[in-house]
Amino acid sequence: MANVADKIITVENVSKTFPKVVAVNNLSFEVEAQTCFGCLGPNGAGKSTMMKIIYGKCTRDEKPAGRMSIFGYDPKDHELEIKYLSGVVPQDNNLDDELNVIENLMIYSKFYNMPAGLARERIAYLLDFLELAEKINSRIAELSGGMKRRLVIARALLNNPRLLILDEPTTGLDPQVRHLIWDKLRLLKKEGTTILLTTHYMEEAFQICDTVMIMHNGQRIIEGPPRDLLAQHIEKYVLEVPDAGALQDKFNDRMPDSVRIERAQQGIRLFSNHYDCLKMLAGSMEIENYYLRQTNLEDVFLKATGRGLNETQ
Amino acid sequence: MKHSNPVMCPPLGLRLFGVWHRHMRVYTKNIFSNGLPPFLEPLLFLAGVGLGLGAYITQSMEGLSYLEFLGTGLLVTAAMFTASFECSYGTFIRLEFDKVYDGMLAAPLTVNDLIVGEILWAGTKGLFFSFAVLCILTVFGVIHMPYSLMAPLVGFLTGTMFAVLSLFITSFVRSINQLNFFFTGFISPMFFFSGVVFPTGNLPYYIQPLVEMVPLTHCVRLVRAVCANHYAMIHLWDLFYIVAFILIFGFFALKRLRRRMVN
Repeated sequence: MANVADKIITVENVSKTFPKVVAVNNLSFEVEAQTCFGCLGPNGAGKSTMMKIIYGKCTRDEKPAGRMSIFGYDPKDHELEIKYLSGVVPQDNNLDDELNVIENLMIYSKFYNMPAGLARERIAYLLDFLELAEKINSRIAELSGGMKRRLVIARALLNNPRLLILDEPTTGLDPQVRHLIWDKLRLLKKEGTTILLTTHYMEEAFQICDTVMIMHNGQRIIEGPPRDLLAQHIEKYVLEVPDAGALQDKFNDRMPDSVRIERAQQGIRLFSNHYDCLKMLAGSMEIENYYLRQTNLEDVFLKATGRGLNETQ
Repeated sequence: MKHSNPVMCPPLGLRLFGVWHRHMRVYTKNIFSNGLPPFLEPLLFLAGVGLGLGAYITQSMEGLSYLEFLGTGLLVTAAMFTASFECSYGTFIRLEFDKVYDGMLAAPLTVNDLIVGEILWAGTKGLFFSFAVLCILTVFGVIHMPYSLMAPLVGFLTGTMFAVLSLFITSFVRSINQLNFFFTGFISPMFFFSGVVFPTGNLPYYIQPLVEMVPLTHCVRLVRAVCANHYAMIHLWDLFYIVAFILIFGFFALKRLRRRMVN
């Protein structure tokens, strides 16, 4: 039985080298029981690879071997135990198109050796939980993207996993479905499930993650509770001016020290902890020419990982 | 709900059954379109080639009428074709397009479970296709009970053998079109030069070693022995060849496909 302070996942100095790229570079992190741990990072940052190493779909480099413990098991030798205790929602919805909704789930119940009666009960509960109950006999082709995603989540929950691993669970889904999935994930966490997810949505990380790790080029850049990241790594406010020309003459002569400038190709962003200061800089500009707002996790993310694209994105 | 005992993973047998069961469910989902052709195909073959062409062939082949000669050969070629398609195009689509294995490997299954379960399924399909041919042959009085009832077992071995071979080939394939070479260059020629359509005894002597090397020859010889209930030492060699082939190619297919599924 897991205590709240128990570490469900411990990863120490793990690396993964592919022939052309170092996907994970000496990464370490820990996930506590009954928390939601979010992995953020640009495409190619190594998030998915790290997830796959945890459930044995990828093997980590043998040298340096580092150390991994998931429920006390090392995926190198105990992939079955880890998979049995975990549910995985992969990036692609790999459902069996030839089968309908319930058949898709029944097939997986066999993989967990669930008796058919129990499996049917569990499936009925899960379809209800993910608001798919009336789709039980639908063909996969008839489902919308959001329904398919929820079905894959239901499949991952079949065996009452203690750890739920989600690789970009809400990418490409509409806001209604995203909020529904967030609600369900919060509920699962409350019931004792530990959640590990990757996402590109800062909003998602902010909404459901207790801890966020921002990755870049296979390494951890920063880690902490979302609110702490905001407090520690970025100013409180940002003044975004899409067309820098409008502001050009103003800060040539007097730019306060407390303002940090970030230049993009066209526009400019001014960060500061002082709202009034930015307000003053916005000055006489037309309201539609600037956007003065609180900073968010996306600003932290972009600050940490840079605004330019690298070759893997 | 918590698991009091975490180590309750299904044992090997059940894991293999789970994979086999998945394939079986997908296959039987369209039972009409999947289950009928195995019966129609030998019917067509016997009617077209056996009756039509066979009427001109009065010479007995290896002591059998032409219809019986061809019919017994079809018992294993049906198994060969179904297993080869299943474990080449079928496997490649599951691996690269539908990503079926990615999902399955997130369940408590190892790559070995996945591949061995798939091989067993292909063997089962071989058994079923062989059985379908047997039904047709029996209905038309081409072969005789009860010894022929054992023929589907040779169909199982044939299916398994071509499953491991096809998986091995598929492990090299990067684009699905490359599989055409396997069928045009290997499977189809084998159909003609393994003693299914005509006896190989009269082929030029320099082709004989080649005939003995290819896998189907051994299945054909074995299934005819089973149907006639007439065995000789050479059939022991055939059986040995088949088993050794399955083990050797199975080993390398597993090794190579593991690298593609777990990277």
